[in-house]
Amino acid sequence: MQFNFSILIPYLPQFGSALLVTLQVTVSALLLGILLAIPLSLCKILPVKPLQWLAAFYTSIFRGVPLMVQVFMIYFGIPLVTGLRFNAFQAGTLIFAMNSAAYLSESLRGGIKAIDKGQYEAAAALGVRYPGMMKDIIFPQAIKSVLPSIVNEFISLLKNTTLIASIGLVDILRVGQSVQTATYRAFEPFFFISVFYYMLVMLLSLLGKLLERQVNKSDRN
Amino acid sequence: MIEIRGLYKSFGSLQVLRGIDLNVKDGEVVCIIGPSGSGKSTLLRSINLLETPTFGEIWIDGRLITPPDPYLHFDVIRASGTYAALMQGKDKNPGSDDDLAVINDIKKRDLLKESHEGRTYNKMLRQIEQENHMDAYATRQRIGMVFQHFNLFPHMTVLDNMLYAPMHVRKLSREAAEKKALELLASVGLMDKKDAYPATLSGGQKQRVAIARALAMEPEFLLFDEPTSALDPEMVKEVLEVIKNLVHAGISMVLVTHEMGFAREVADRICFLDEGVLMEDAPPDIFFSSPKSDRAKAFLEKVL
Repeated sequence: MQFNFSILIPYLPQFGSALLVTLQVTVSALLLGILLAIPLSLCKILPVKPLQWLAAFYTSIFRGVPLMVQVFMIYFGIPLVTGLRFNAFQAGTLIFAMNSAAYLSESLRGGIKAIDKGQYEAAAALGVRYPGMMKDIIFPQAIKSVLPSIVNEFISLLKNTTLIASIGLVDILRVGQSVQTATYRAFEPFFFISVFYYMLVMLLSLLGKLLERQVNKSDRN
Repeated sequence: MIEIRGLYKSFGSLQVLRGIDLNVKDGEVVCIIGPSGSGKSTLLRSINLLETPTFGEIWIDGRLITPPDPYLHFDVIRASGTYAALMQGKDKNPGSDDDLAVINDIKKRDLLKESHEGRTYNKMLRQIEQENHMDAYATRQRIGMVFQHFNLFPHMTVLDNMLYAPMHVRKLSREAAEKKALELLASVGLMDKKDAYPATLSGGQKQRVAIARALAMEPEFLLFDEPTSALDPEMVKEVLEVIKNLVHAGISMVLVTHEMGFAREVADRICFLDEGVLMEDAPPDIFFSSPKSDRAKAFLEKVL
């Protein structure tokens, strides 16, 4: 068996624009996911039973249904019932965001629960109302303990976005597949893609660690 | 002026406070002492509604911060259906033996049920509330609190800890809040720590910042919940010095403390609490030299 990585060279521009798609989906899904996770975690901690049930139900759906099925559902299934059409990018971003929200809201809830009740009491004793207390005192502290989960979520999102190739979006995996079709060679493109993802994930982990250190500077003695 | 009337607090079946009556006048320093589990902290925390009283009323400067307690208003009891039923065929003059006996009976057996007492009764209660009520947020702006475990906000610098409530609750401008905060930091001797995070401070320094943070809201009363109990011994003195300076500045305060020497030195009155009952309320000279109750004598023998 002879390797010939030079066959990839003509496809590099395609890999480049595919990388852009992958990153776009990942980053927008993550940001939207964090945004959704905040009210969702609030539903989980507020002492209002129906809200808690609703949030628990939401989380259980995304835990219980395979991701690939969710992607097909929103891209092929939902439009038939509702008439609401998404393009592949919107469908992918939305479903990944909703997934991330389910996972992140769990760890955010844990982070909020872990905060000492003295923090609530100190804020209350100063006359601070509940929304301000949550926004300025509790959430900023909870986010810190959630930071590792956010980095993990970023990484698994990055890898899971390969699923969007299945609804026709041209991401890195899709380019690899077209290289395979055109050249009848499978090892080189997929090896290239593996190394590529691996390095991207390592880079993200490193960034995550740096970020964590930066945020934790107030805890250092 | 803080007026506590007939205060009861239960946690489930556990009665922590059993009928406390206590006044704190403006400028007064009151120390609450007593064995652990006697309800000292619960009493203190009721004053800014960190605990919700089960029965009783708390008035701050003539404003009612708890719901009105019907058992404390004889005219309300007299307007109730229960009273009317029990008074049938009896001497209906207010103040008569029958009248007082029935009122006493109603109080003792907790007979008043909102849904059964009729419209006049509920109207009178609502009226008391409407005319006098002050909500928890307004109350807490007037009453500062210092906790045993400091409870500084760890993600904010010392200065930001002190600016947050004045700017967000009192809506002061940053300049005004900062001017006040820096004055206070200087007065507790921590000007050089203004940009430090709480985690870098010693326990004594944290508590001094916590005191300054409470003062930044310019409260009329300060509550201290065992402010030196979580400190290493060598740091107790610096915190007590700061509190002493506040006493000399004439700030009204209620302290729960185990520092008997300090209580004796600064308090205008000592309140001795035991099993949820206010056993003694006396000037420190009298309390420490000749306590009336056996409980207080036994307690003082152990701690002095």
